[in-house]
Amino acid sequence: MSELTTDADREDLRAGARAVLSAKATDEQNRTAIASEAGYDVALWAQLASELGLHSMVFPEEHGGSGFGFVELGVVLSEMGRALLPGPFFTSVVLAGSALVVSGDDEARASYLPGIADGSTVATLAVQEADGAWRHDGFDSEAVHEGGRWSLTGEKSLVPFGTVASLIVVAATTADGPSLFAVEAGAAGLTSEALTTLDITRPLARLRFSRTPAVLIGVTGQAPAILDAVLDRATAALAAEQVGAARACLEMAVAYAKDRSQFGRQIGSFQAIKHKCADMFARIQIAEAAAVEAARAVDGLEDAPPVGVAAAVAHSVCSEAFMFAAAENIQVHGGIGFTWEHPAHLYFRRAKASQLMFGGPGVYHERLLQRMGV
Amino acid sequence: MNDIETFTAEVRAFLDANAQRFPGGEAHLAWGKGDDHTGYFSDDTAEVEAAKFAAARSWQRTRYEGGFGWITGPSSYGGRELSPVHDLVYDLLEAEYDVPDTGVISLIGLGMIGPTILAHGQQAIKDRYLPAMYRGDAIACQLFSEPAAGSDLAGVTTKAVQDGDVWRLTGQKVWTSVAHQAQLGMALCRTNPDVPKHKGITAFLVDLASPGVEIRPLRQMNGGAEFNEVFLTDVVVPDDHRLGEIDGGWRVALTTLMNERASVGGENEGALARVLSDGFLASLLHETGHGADPAARRRLAEITADLTAADYLNRQTVRRLVGGAEPGPEASVSKMMWAQNLTRVAHLAAELVGPRLTADTGAWGTYSWTELLLGSPAFRILGGTEEILKNILGERVLGLPKEPVAP
Repeated sequence: MSELTTDADREDLRAGARAVLSAKATDEQNRTAIASEAGYDVALWAQLASELGLHSMVFPEEHGGSGFGFVELGVVLSEMGRALLPGPFFTSVVLAGSALVVSGDDEARASYLPGIADGSTVATLAVQEADGAWRHDGFDSEAVHEGGRWSLTGEKSLVPFGTVASLIVVAATTADGPSLFAVEAGAAGLTSEALTTLDITRPLARLRFSRTPAVLIGVTGQAPAILDAVLDRATAALAAEQVGAARACLEMAVAYAKDRSQFGRQIGSFQAIKHKCADMFARIQIAEAAAVEAARAVDGLEDAPPVGVAAAVAHSVCSEAFMFAAAENIQVHGGIGFTWEHPAHLYFRRAKASQLMFGGPGVYHERLLQRMGV
Repeated sequence: MNDIETFTAEVRAFLDANAQRFPGGEAHLAWGKGDDHTGYFSDDTAEVEAAKFAAARSWQRTRYEGGFGWITGPSSYGGRELSPVHDLVYDLLEAEYDVPDTGVISLIGLGMIGPTILAHGQQAIKDRYLPAMYRGDAIACQLFSEPAAGSDLAGVTTKAVQDGDVWRLTGQKVWTSVAHQAQLGMALCRTNPDVPKHKGITAFLVDLASPGVEIRPLRQMNGGAEFNEVFLTDVVVPDDHRLGEIDGGWRVALTTLMNERASVGGENEGALARVLSDGFLASLLHETGHGADPAARRRLAEITADLTAADYLNRQTVRRLVGGAEPGPEASVSKMMWAQNLTRVAHLAAELVGPRLTADTGAWGTYSWTELLLGSPAFRILGGTEEILKNILGERVLGLPKEPVAP
């Protein structure tokens, strides 16, 4: 199959998302949202879900979705990255949403996807534990089946939006292997604790479960397979967000290089600055190509590369391009770029946190070789 | 069948009739098979080089007679008047066959100078030289750079003075690839020293057999001698060999240079096709005993990610062009990344091979990496230095202010 939408459709989608975000997710508005109790703009969240229908894009139509692909979702995520929108879109729709979609569990999908799709449910995915490693099996958290019910005990860490999520998809060990469970906020024995975070736009929490009631998603032992597929989708989606954010850094740097004068010249006329910007541009072009190809691979387009390879390439290249652009943007700005008031550090923080989200450079490079059979 | 499918079938029939197909995809490129070469430049002896040029010209003639000598060219000169996409389709299909590498005649002569002659040449010149070039009879080279005009190409000082119906050319050109095998040279000359430098240049097509042309091969750091110094001493060039207007040579040169950046970085022929083929670097990792070495694996993965992403960018560019889009800034980005990535590959290979890179022990896939390594410094110079490419991206794409220039 080929793309569901034309280039022109996707440009319309981009323009629509950009119009809303440039009006409602400015640096100042984002900072207000971050300081609020939820940590994001709840009204904007609802508007993006209901008016623009962004949350439901990649879900199956029978569960409230509109059946678009990651190629289209990537356009939206890229705009969210550009605005550095605080909020659980990636967490709820991509991480938790993909786990439910991939699980093949129709009952779980019917129970949870419509709420995620209309924005009324904020879902998260709890995989990491005390050591912070992203893994697909070997969890210390344990679920037991007693009297016809599952209950879950253990500690999860670095859970995105863990204190505000109403639905938590948890990976835990069972007698029949690693499995995924759904836990609702407020369940017995569940406590959550917000952590101080590097990336202040994406809060993280520690969750403790003590004989907490849980619902099995799919069948036992299925977690590694589901999480493998979730990782491909998540890294492909994150790549789009990283590219959008990296472009914002480049635009900021270029604007400043034209605006700022020293030695009687615009600093952008000096090769030292111009070449930094050119390097950022080149790496972002390559990163965007990788992000687009990963999205095409997730969507199973006919001439796309294998999804495991494309997603791993995109995660590596886009993580590094964003980190590079975020760091170089600060250098182009000089002292002003190092201030709390300037948005540059928010991108820098997001860049490093995104790069480390699924294990970091050592892990993702080895993953790429394994996906290529090396 | 659409137009591309019909064309594909036609190309396939031509290739099947005239060449041997490699068995099984990229199998002929696998580790340990065939010629042990990794280089972009050759360091062939004169006899081997002459044989390669003869083979390249002969295969170009076969292509021309089969109707594939100039796929994008006008039919009046043996062309097919098809799109760059058809050209690309042809290249991709031909890569599956064991045919002579024609890079030496096609990259500069047919890829860059032919289109320039077509766009700016006078009628008699087009009629006389274009069919000869695309039939493989005449090889053309650039007479652009000079000792004092490299990146600042518009500073050329080779003089052309009008003398009735002819021009007299005097000066020195340098870094002219394949000049020693060429019959024609496209020269940029100073025709007016009293105007801003871009406005006083005229382009000419020079018959290299003319009296006063002296070509001296320059030996490159890799040991080969593919480029030359060309000395022009009172060389007579008829006015009908002028390309474009008098003093309008800079526009003519831009046509040539645009075709250059589009060709470098897009395709990898010859030994580079093997180096960059699927799994070849992984074979290097394993064959050199580094399959379980985490540091080596990390470096290979970093380079593989960047090479693969650059490949994705090239594929997307092709898809956009097929869809009718105009070429964007991808060419400069691709060329820059091509140079950087290949340089990294050369140094990674050297590290993996280890001390056996330093002497030819006869082991397959070891000393041969010196070819890539010793060619690598040129990658970031040829086809526009990295610094100039970054200026282009900074100024023309990002809109940053220009460098201050000397008055």
